[in-house]
Amino acid sequence: MLKVEHLTVTYGSTQAVTDISFEVKEHEIVSLIGANGAGKTSTLLALSGIVEKDSGSVWLKGQDISRQPAHKIVQMGLCHVPEGRNVFPQLTVEENLITGKTICKNMSKAELNNWLEEQYELFPRLRERRRQQGGTLSGGEQQMLAIARGLMSDPQLIMMDEPTLGLAPIVVDEIFNLILKIQSLGKTVLLIEQNANMSLSVCDRAYVLERGHIILTGAGEDLLDNPTVQKAYLGI
Amino acid sequence: MYILEQILNGVCQGSIYALMAIGYAFIYGIVGLVTFSYGEVAMVGAFAAYYAFILFGNNLLIGCIAGIAGGVVAGMLIYKFCYERFLLAPKHIAIICTVAISQLFKSLAQIYFGTEVKPMASLFGGKYIQLGDLRVTYVQILVLVMVIIMASGLSLFTKKTQVGMQLRAVAQDKKAAALVGIHVNRMALLGNCIGCALGGTAGLLLAVYYGNVYATMGQAVGFKAFSAVVLGGLSNVGAAAVGGMLIGLLENIGIMFFSANYRDTIAFVFMVVVLIFMPQGIGTKKGYRQ
Repeated sequence: MLKVEHLTVTYGSTQAVTDISFEVKEHEIVSLIGANGAGKTSTLLALSGIVEKDSGSVWLKGQDISRQPAHKIVQMGLCHVPEGRNVFPQLTVEENLITGKTICKNMSKAELNNWLEEQYELFPRLRERRRQQGGTLSGGEQQMLAIARGLMSDPQLIMMDEPTLGLAPIVVDEIFNLILKIQSLGKTVLLIEQNANMSLSVCDRAYVLERGHIILTGAGEDLLDNPTVQKAYLGI
Repeated sequence: MYILEQILNGVCQGSIYALMAIGYAFIYGIVGLVTFSYGEVAMVGAFAAYYAFILFGNNLLIGCIAGIAGGVVAGMLIYKFCYERFLLAPKHIAIICTVAISQLFKSLAQIYFGTEVKPMASLFGGKYIQLGDLRVTYVQILVLVMVIIMASGLSLFTKKTQVGMQLRAVAQDKKAAALVGIHVNRMALLGNCIGCALGGTAGLLLAVYYGNVYATMGQAVGFKAFSAVVLGGLSNVGAAAVGGMLIGLLENIGIMFFSANYRDTIAFVFMVVVLIFMPQGIGTKKGYRQ
């Protein structure tokens, strides 16, 4: 589904990501874990075309998306739910969702309503808040809105950056259940999480990033038992 | 009756400033940059209408279309030369570029249109409606109707259409807009052109209202539009319109007490006084100044 080869990202003189390669297979949940500053967010920003890549190539379902602009990458089926949610604060929940369908031109009202209905079924709380401005939602609701907005573009692969950051434990569980539900809908998920324990529990495979390099890779449950991971990320 | 006439003049001039301020705030919201070439956009709109009136025999509709089109073309040029080329550069570079292109427009207008003040066609031959002791000219009615049409058209467009929603999304969060598949640069170009269309319309209305057009006419009105937007808090379109209306009213009421030569001084002193006591502007909550 997604193949990243020798990706390097630099900000000025600081190299955030150095020559990393990884892949995500269809219907997998793949997790990128690492400490702050490891290069996780920079990797996702580079994949979605927000940040320029210094070198390397990115392939989505066999298509080279390395030099495509951000809006084209969304059209090609790669969606990025950014860290901090970035909902449009003065648009209503429903308007936020409709912006997620930007890539579909000439869509009929009935089709659009079907898409909205699908999101409301997956996220019932958003239906209750449909007329409310995005900026007035709670953190958990904003996260749900950001994910639902991403799903509106019907992506083949959805990348989520710290979806549980700053959320109450009960909401964290809810978000991880949603991620599994999204996988069961046939989507592929690339997940960045500081909550390594939960992240490794739900993912099929994971890559461990440290200072811009991939230092470990393996199945989620194997990495949970890995002494290096346990010491560095699980506090065991 | 003199005070009522001055209030009416103030409302008319204020509504033109308000239209410019709406366009200015719209551009700031979408593009994210202050522009110093907006007065010249109005000048281009005024000249486009001036020549359309000459060519098409004072046809009001064609004149209006020409004024709007003049503003849009100027907006496209400004975007291409000042914004698009410097999207990744520090913001001050694009802002300095708008100062440069403003001078360029002014100089080109002086070279090709001449430096003299040109009389604008008299569209209604001085016709007016008498309301008691108050005389309301057709030109004043035209100004108010045009401003209402343009401002409410923009409001409907941004609230009721998908493109309008995308423009609002870009104004609120450019990164998120790109991540949902919105072509942010194209929207910024469109937003700039819409804002400049309002500027072009305002230029046409100023020319019709004052009865003349000249190459340097954009300078003072550009600064007044900027003052109105600063009073409103930069990206708040509604508050910017209120700022524009206040400036127009104050100018006209002010010249009842001072000489008409102090018209511009009154407007700018008012801006300075408001900003001393309300540095966040009248439309922004305290602490949220942009």
